[in-house]
Amino acid sequence: GDTIFAVSSGHGRCGVAVIRTSGPGSRGALQSLTGRPALPPPRVLALRRIRDPATGEPLDRGLVVWFQGPQSFTGEDCAELHVHGGPAVVSGVLRALGSLPGLRPAEPGEFTRRAFRRGKLDLTAAEGLGDLIRAETEAQRRQALRQMEGELGRLYQRWSDTLTQALAHLEAYIDFSEDDNVEEEVLSQGEQGGAALPHLCSSYRDSWSLHAVDATVRALEQEIGSHLQDGRRGELLRGGVRAVIAGPPNVGKSSLLNLLCQRPAAIVSPVAGTTRDVVEVALNVGGYPLVLSDTAGLRDATDPIEQEGVSRARDRLREADLVLAVLDAAAVPTEPAGLGAALGSLQPPPTTPCILVLNKADLLKGQGGTLRAACAQGHPLPPVTLLSCKTGEGLDRLLALLARELAQLCGDPLSGSPSLTQSRHSLHLRQCAAALAWYGREHRSDLGLAAERLRLARRHLGSITGHVSTEDVLDIIFRDFCVGK
Amino acid sequence: PGQRRVGSEVGAAAAPRYEVVVIGGGHAGTEAAAAAARGGARTLLLTHKISTIGEMSCNPSFGGIGKGHLMREVDALDGLCGRVCDRSGVHYKVLNRCKGPAVWGLRAQIDRGLYKEHMQKEILNTPLLTVHEASVEDLLLTEPEPDHSGKCQVTGVVLGDGSTVHAGSVILTTGTFLRGMVLIGLETHPAGRLGDQPAIGLAQTLEKLGFAVGRLKTGTPPRLAKDTIDFSGLQERAADNPPVPFSFLSEAVWIKPEDQLLCYLTRTTLKAQEIIHDNLHLNNHIRETTRGPRYCPSLESKVLRFPNREHQVWLEPEGLESNVIYPQGVSMTLPPELQEQVIRSIPGLERAKILQPGYGVQYDFLDPRQLTASLESRLVQRLFFAGQINGTTGYEEAAAQGVIAGINACLRVHGKPPFIVSRTEGYIGVLIDDLTTLGTSEPYRMFTSRVEFRMSLRPDNADARLTHRGFEEAGCVSQQRYEQAVKMRAALEVGIATLKSLQFSISKWSRLVPEVPISSSRRLPLSAFDVLRYPEANMELLARAVPEPLGKLAQWRQLAERLKIEAAYEWCVENQQQEIEEVRRDEALRLPEDLDYFAIDASLSSEVREKLDSNRPQTIGALSRIPGITPAAIINLLRFVKTYHQKAERLKALPQTDKYLPEKAASQRQISAKSSEEKQEYL
Repeated sequence: GDTIFAVSSGHGRCGVAVIRTSGPGSRGALQSLTGRPALPPPRVLALRRIRDPATGEPLDRGLVVWFQGPQSFTGEDCAELHVHGGPAVVSGVLRALGSLPGLRPAEPGEFTRRAFRRGKLDLTAAEGLGDLIRAETEAQRRQALRQMEGELGRLYQRWSDTLTQALAHLEAYIDFSEDDNVEEEVLSQGEQGGAALPHLCSSYRDSWSLHAVDATVRALEQEIGSHLQDGRRGELLRGGVRAVIAGPPNVGKSSLLNLLCQRPAAIVSPVAGTTRDVVEVALNVGGYPLVLSDTAGLRDATDPIEQEGVSRARDRLREADLVLAVLDAAAVPTEPAGLGAALGSLQPPPTTPCILVLNKADLLKGQGGTLRAACAQGHPLPPVTLLSCKTGEGLDRLLALLARELAQLCGDPLSGSPSLTQSRHSLHLRQCAAALAWYGREHRSDLGLAAERLRLARRHLGSITGHVSTEDVLDIIFRDFCVGK
Repeated sequence: PGQRRVGSEVGAAAAPRYEVVVIGGGHAGTEAAAAAARGGARTLLLTHKISTIGEMSCNPSFGGIGKGHLMREVDALDGLCGRVCDRSGVHYKVLNRCKGPAVWGLRAQIDRGLYKEHMQKEILNTPLLTVHEASVEDLLLTEPEPDHSGKCQVTGVVLGDGSTVHAGSVILTTGTFLRGMVLIGLETHPAGRLGDQPAIGLAQTLEKLGFAVGRLKTGTPPRLAKDTIDFSGLQERAADNPPVPFSFLSEAVWIKPEDQLLCYLTRTTLKAQEIIHDNLHLNNHIRETTRGPRYCPSLESKVLRFPNREHQVWLEPEGLESNVIYPQGVSMTLPPELQEQVIRSIPGLERAKILQPGYGVQYDFLDPRQLTASLESRLVQRLFFAGQINGTTGYEEAAAQGVIAGINACLRVHGKPPFIVSRTEGYIGVLIDDLTTLGTSEPYRMFTSRVEFRMSLRPDNADARLTHRGFEEAGCVSQQRYEQAVKMRAALEVGIATLKSLQFSISKWSRLVPEVPISSSRRLPLSAFDVLRYPEANMELLARAVPEPLGKLAQWRQLAERLKIEAAYEWCVENQQQEIEEVRRDEALRLPEDLDYFAIDASLSSEVREKLDSNRPQTIGALSRIPGITPAAIINLLRFVKTYHQKAERLKALPQTDKYLPEKAASQRQISAKSSEEKQEYL
């Protein structure tokens, strides 16, 4: 098709800008801009003077690379120009490229889309690439890289293959078991010939029972079920853990937010009820992404604006992935049961993980030891920590606690099977698992219907990796890419 | 033989003229000729011998899994074989009874003599249809019509005596007769089937025209004398009672249920294996490399590939009065005296007498990828092919192609658009799409697993799928059948509406029909249609519980059965609707016929380009089913088709230089969004 080009590095003034082309015109473009008919050897950097082919005017001196398809990111012929990052240089080179016949600016995500079309990536890998570009923390990067390298895709592909095999057995049973013309030999022949029934396995040769298929389907249903029940780890890591600071008015919630983000993001004052709306900041804690919200103090407010603030705070609390419950250290009971009751009065969602922060530790004056002892008594309390937002004392311990909770929520992106990173995946997987469950209910009464469930389940798996995809789904997925990638 | 121009024929004006000429009187030829005549074309059927019309040259049965579906669809288009089978069967049995109605396989043992008799009666009494005995040696050809692809067009045929017949279209259904070769042991002699001459002149003509042909083989078992078989120790298989008819027009089959014949099961022993192994040097057919059917292999290939086991042998009656037994499963090509030894090593057959030895047939078939979906050849206009000549096996597959070729040959002459059955509409559509898109390397047989929309394309609703179209678009369906289909469709609509509007609480349903274990997870009232969905429910049960208004729905037996099936599959059919729409959309995206796949500007590997060039898919839908075509290639071509006409316009909108600047990315995005909108509109 066309040859596309775009700036692939960041925009704005910078040391080096990378401009990339992809398509059959890449060769000509590189020749025109360097003014030399000879290309450098593929995948080797070469220093060249870059000129406007129309006027011959030098634009810059930079490094160029030639990638001959299919050994390139997109699988097409590609060229890269590493030029100085000044806006005038970049726009000069782009203008020169645009004046060449057959070249046009790339649409958002078009390079990746071409790579997908050339079979260089499957959909999950393409999504991983998108995530990698957007990754802001260490753990996000690890997860995205793993996905881009195809691990998630391979897991789904393996499931899809398993299902295909089970389906093939079932189909064979439907088509052959009762027809007089056909004996069981046909099945193993299919295995050899591979044309008509490519996926039959040897377990069928000696048995007409459907037990193997049933067992396979049940096992797969369970595996998908546990993959789905990973507590949204991958999604949390990809999108950030939503942590909510909640507590009674004037315990220092906004001060805690400001302390954590190291800037005065929220207005603090000694007046109870200063914070009316939700204030949100994004943080990187120990490599994990955290979206921290400060909320209005929870009390029975009379002022309608504050009432609205409290109601928003309660909404946030319900949707939180993690709660930072803040209480006034000087005002709480010093035995575990009393502490528990004080926490309970905030009504945090029962299943959401929580960290109890006892602020204003600087005002304790020696009672700190009693409180610490109370917390250590093993009462079923969430992790508790003493903190002084004023002095910063106890911050290290809070950060360590936070990192521990985040690691638990997001999981280690490098261990175990790859995590589910997108709600698109979980939607299809849920439907796939539901279809498999139906199979279990129907295969005794109507094998035709049961087989249909397996076909449907396979279709859902295929939709994730893009093997049964439609242009519409692709549009949605590639929409999220920036120009040049 | 060779190309002869109409203009150069002496006395051409005197030659008889028909609108459609069908060559061959087998299962494809009879259906093709009858369908063309039903559609209103003056039709001539040419066959070697009128007495062999309707001959079942191999197994004495019709139908089976997948094949039964085809017969129902042939019947829905008013074809012959279903009706004739309802008048000549001797043992009717529906296979896959316990696997759900979508995969039921209607099947019957047929009396060969009765089948032939009734088929000949049908053919010889079809208005507008003339039958002549003659061999066809050559085709009359002329310049092609400019508005169709093809290098010439057929205008008639040259007969064995040198005379000519002019035709608007010609259908070739010569089965295994193209360079047919019968093999028994080391003996080979040219023949289409035992006792019939092969068609050699025609084969040469097709080759000269540039048709690609392949070679296939098939075989048939020896026939045994019934009175020499000891059935006493063998396993019996009884027929269905009541038998299920093939035709939508038949209330019941001709035979009394209790008069039906039995089939028997026996098995080969290791002795048979020994004889076959010791005599491979006497067996040309088996040693050669021509592809045979994997689905009914010869006993020799079974023994070679799966040694040391028993192979089942069904002993099937050939007719009510017949003394012939057809041993299904032991087709072989050994020399006759050795065939006798093999047969006599089988329990029950120790004293069996062979009436006719088994033999193999090798024959040319035409690569069906050279045909369009209407079965017209792309090379020679107005020349259609149907049946075994296209690489299929089985009477039903032949009949299905015959009907479609007959309808389209007639429509072609009358200047009407072709009648194409889509994959989403019928097994016939799947069969023809598979053949014309993928071709075949072994005799092609219908299976239900080849069908994507199996839940919607059921034997019970073939009339709803095809009869209306057949009547309205092809004119091949009788008024009587059409009216019956209209009546049934209306009754189904009323029935479903009645069932859906009858709603009670779960507890009330549980009291009314305690036999049905209704799950109580839903609090909403359930309709009678919802209840009918349960495997334990049927219309009779519901009618007893709620006689008004359900009583009258249950009285019409066929209607009651179909309502039950509709209820059970409603979910699935609805679910498939979206997928069906996708396929239809892809089928609507036609690829230009003369597309040069090596030249087009789309990122495709050279391997994919070669595949596309040899397969020449007609639509994006067909393209997506070619093995080895990657999803990426499909999307590339999809894009190519979508932008085929639009490309020039897009290039016209010349870009302004400043919009390449990163700062202007936003405006650029708007432009790209706009162009993708245009794409949508074009679609």
